[in-house]
Amino acid sequence: MRWLMRLIRRNRLEDELDRELASHVEAEIERLIADGLTPSEARRQALAAFGGFEPIRERAREARGTQWIEHLWQDIRYGARVLRKSPGFTLAAVGSLAIAIGANAAMFSVTDALLFRPLPVERPRELVFLNRAGYDEPTLRFSYPALQRFRQGVPEVPFAAHTSIARTLFSVDGPSELVLGQLVTGDWFDVLGVRAEAGRVFTAADTRELGGKPVVVLSDDFWMRRFARDPAVIGRTVTINRVPVTVVGIAARGFAGLTIGTRLDCWLPLTMQQELRFYTNNSAEDADPRKPWLPQDGISFLTVVARLPDGIAHTAVPARMAAVHRQSVDSQAEKQFDPERRAFVRREYLELMPAWRGQSPLRETFTKPLQVLMGMTALVLLIGCANLASLILARGTARSRELSLRLSLGAGRGRIVRQLTTESLLLAGLGGLAAVAVARWGADGLLKLAATTRVPIPLSLPFDWRLITFAAAASLLTGLAFGLMPALRLSRAGLVDGLKAGSRVTSSSGRETRVPFGRVLIIAQVTLALTLLVGAVAFVRTFKNLLSEQTGFEREQVVSARFEPVLAGFGKEQWPALSERLLDAAQRVPGVRSASLGMTGTLTGVMRIGGGIVVEGQPPHVGPEWTLREEQVGDDFFATMGMALVRGRDFRRTDGAGTQSVAVINETMAKRFFGDVDPIGRHFGYGSPPEFEVIGIVRDARVDGPGRPVPSLAYLLLRQHPDDIANYLYVRVTSAPDTAANTLRAALSSAEPGLAIREVTTLDELTGRTVARERLMSQLTSGFGLLALAVAALGLYATISYSVVRRTSELGVRLALGASPGSVRWLVLRETLLVVGAGCVIGLLLAVPALRYVGTLLFGLSPGDPVTLAAATAVLLSVSILAALIPAMRAARTDPIRALRTE
Amino acid sequence: MPSDRSDLLQGTLDMLILKVLNRGPLHGYAIAQRIGAISRALLQVPQGSLYPALHRLENKRLLSAAWARTPSGRDVKVYRLTTQGRRQLSEEVADWERLAEAIRLILQTAE
Repeated sequence: MRWLMRLIRRNRLEDELDRELASHVEAEIERLIADGLTPSEARRQALAAFGGFEPIRERAREARGTQWIEHLWQDIRYGARVLRKSPGFTLAAVGSLAIAIGANAAMFSVTDALLFRPLPVERPRELVFLNRAGYDEPTLRFSYPALQRFRQGVPEVPFAAHTSIARTLFSVDGPSELVLGQLVTGDWFDVLGVRAEAGRVFTAADTRELGGKPVVVLSDDFWMRRFARDPAVIGRTVTINRVPVTVVGIAARGFAGLTIGTRLDCWLPLTMQQELRFYTNNSAEDADPRKPWLPQDGISFLTVVARLPDGIAHTAVPARMAAVHRQSVDSQAEKQFDPERRAFVRREYLELMPAWRGQSPLRETFTKPLQVLMGMTALVLLIGCANLASLILARGTARSRELSLRLSLGAGRGRIVRQLTTESLLLAGLGGLAAVAVARWGADGLLKLAATTRVPIPLSLPFDWRLITFAAAASLLTGLAFGLMPALRLSRAGLVDGLKAGSRVTSSSGRETRVPFGRVLIIAQVTLALTLLVGAVAFVRTFKNLLSEQTGFEREQVVSARFEPVLAGFGKEQWPALSERLLDAAQRVPGVRSASLGMTGTLTGVMRIGGGIVVEGQPPHVGPEWTLREEQVGDDFFATMGMALVRGRDFRRTDGAGTQSVAVINETMAKRFFGDVDPIGRHFGYGSPPEFEVIGIVRDARVDGPGRPVPSLAYLLLRQHPDDIANYLYVRVTSAPDTAANTLRAALSSAEPGLAIREVTTLDELTGRTVARERLMSQLTSGFGLLALAVAALGLYATISYSVVRRTSELGVRLALGASPGSVRWLVLRETLLVVGAGCVIGLLLAVPALRYVGTLLFGLSPGDPVTLAAATAVLLSVSILAALIPAMRAARTDPIRALRTE
Repeated sequence: MPSDRSDLLQGTLDMLILKVLNRGPLHGYAIAQRIGAISRALLQVPQGSLYPALHRLENKRLLSAAWARTPSGRDVKVYRLTTQGRRQLSEEVADWERLAEAIRLILQTAE
């Protein structure tokens, strides 16, 4: 740091040096006077003997070792002057850099938050999730007794558990609202090392007894949003799903649970599961979900997290955990009589999954898209670099007089390169500063675009050194990328050339030395722009293909209402009357043709899946590929949804609680489970003999959204399943769906004021949400594609214009010798077409493998889709020709007399 | 300027400065005078080298400097040897003596 002090004190040091040297001369004068000289003669001799002050100053500065910084400072000031002199160029360059670097930084910010950021807990790398491996997908679900077995079997390892996140009805003095909650074990916060921001977090004592204690911990975010961080909230009683509980504290700021991209609002004791009616995601087998879940080994609903410090991660402890699990699996397998099924159960084993990044459903969906988008923003930045490099080159050639002068005055080539590079770095630095703001704004926008609803994805994007470092590094690299090559080129320019020629020279294209590099830059821009355009066209077409796909149900004219009767306190006893009331109210809404109910709903992402299906006359089916989705629906469901029955009959009013259980299955299920046999009249189910009779086959519908696979699906009649309560009401309308939605909401609310209605919207809107990712990709990639196109076209225009200006006299001579304007125009255009053509060929060669890489994200087109490639090429070619046409016309209008006179 | 006096050997100026200052703090002009006087005017210290050398040594923390006023009323920057400088001096002197001894041997025996 001493050199820094010396640098800061530079002026003082310079003064001191001057004083010291002056003092030396005075002493010499004194001595000479003492020797008998006259004062003036003494002064003359002393100064003569001393020589020049300046060389000494210079060498003393060198001795201080700060010269490079002083040079740098000089370069920066000089560069700033140069940039100030051409504000248009500077503004354009800084602006485009800000956008290009900013887009990259925004992508980085989101990618970092989603993929690389550790959880805000203590020593996150020690945390592991327990996974029931052996299946196609990770299964992080355990029963409470299973958790207890781990705790007893491996006492030295701390285990904690939480349920999946569920919507809960929260209220404090007034209307209730739906918030996100999660049940956790009492020691959960302790194991994670999450402290309280205020009050306290849970302790093991909070979950000691089943049904206790009525307490809640709020997230800091919720505390701020709902209570403006009022400390008086702690100790107050609020109601959750109509149960009064006491707020005991607020979890540490920045901690929002282990699920990245979800804004969790509160945590509740696991032992309150039944009292709070917390029916979260679960897998049930031989269990009664209506009784408390904790004592039942058959209900797996807990994600188990364990802390394995480095010291024991590599000992026998993991193996002992696996052994505990092996024992449970084996005892499960014992209960299976069918040998095939027993073998299937035995496949399961325990795996420890690193938990430092938390869980995130978004990660799976967006990892690949983010990679693609990051690649595309990087390409945009590269195009920008090539563009700026060619601009600087063009400007530099205009500056060749200045550079030649400086070279001839003795500036070293290195010094010139340094000076020019400093200018570029200065531009990049300014661009980088602006880019940070662009990145913040862009990343927020990205979360908005990626969200399925109007609420942006709640991913916290901290403004920290990671983002700053990225922006700084990107700016530095960018500056070097677009600055270094032109600087090297320009400094090599002949010394005499620039001075002698007076900057405007005839140059037959034959002995050009600089144009090839300029051309390479243009080809690079065209190549990259074409690759981006191909990507954009591919993603836009994917999105269009998805939206136009037949989903197998009516989208425009069906309105879905979602509500939460269970949370609102309705049990299965009240349900039949409530459902009658709701359907009645819905049917009286003007414009409604029919109304029906659904339990898990269509396009919701919610599903009930059964395994171990028994089909009449067939051996048992084992394995995950033989699972079956089921959906409980009301009367007139297929008519309401506009789904066509292929064979058999629809549900009838005579199908009731006392009669044979009936099912309508979809085509996929018919094919998969029955093959060539006619399913009508046959039975299937979970028991023996199988309980459901197939009465009809309905046409396949994309119930998870367009482009998603159609599951094997059986529709059952709600009336025959008194334990199940619907969450969705559908109406088919003949009027405008938006107004019908509003009227429906009002009608349902007045029919049952206590019902928590979550959302009333059209199936079309819900369909749109299932393709949110594709919408995001098509919007962003077309944005990047257009940006790249614009940048490349501008680059092309600038380069061609510049070359026309430089060749003015040559063109003048050609015209004077009788060349037609048309031939001159063609001369310029041909040059452009050659360059653009070369770029297109390389671009197409790059685009095909790039499309193959993103293949899984595409829908309805092959990686080599000729329409996509042709469309992108056509767009690029026509824009390029337009960009070149303007300078070509100008070239043809060159006045030969004036052109020759400029010489 | 008389030019028949020996140029200072490269690198020896630093050592001479340290040696002169070993007897007590001095300002720049006095250092030049002292070197000239001791060497019986055989060595002339060029000002062009003296001050950069002084600053270099100060940067290396071999010297420390402070401003003072002479009896005649001039402000001068007085240099003083630091502990580090003293150590450096003894190393350089030892090196120099080894070198001088080697050269002497060569001059004596290589005839």
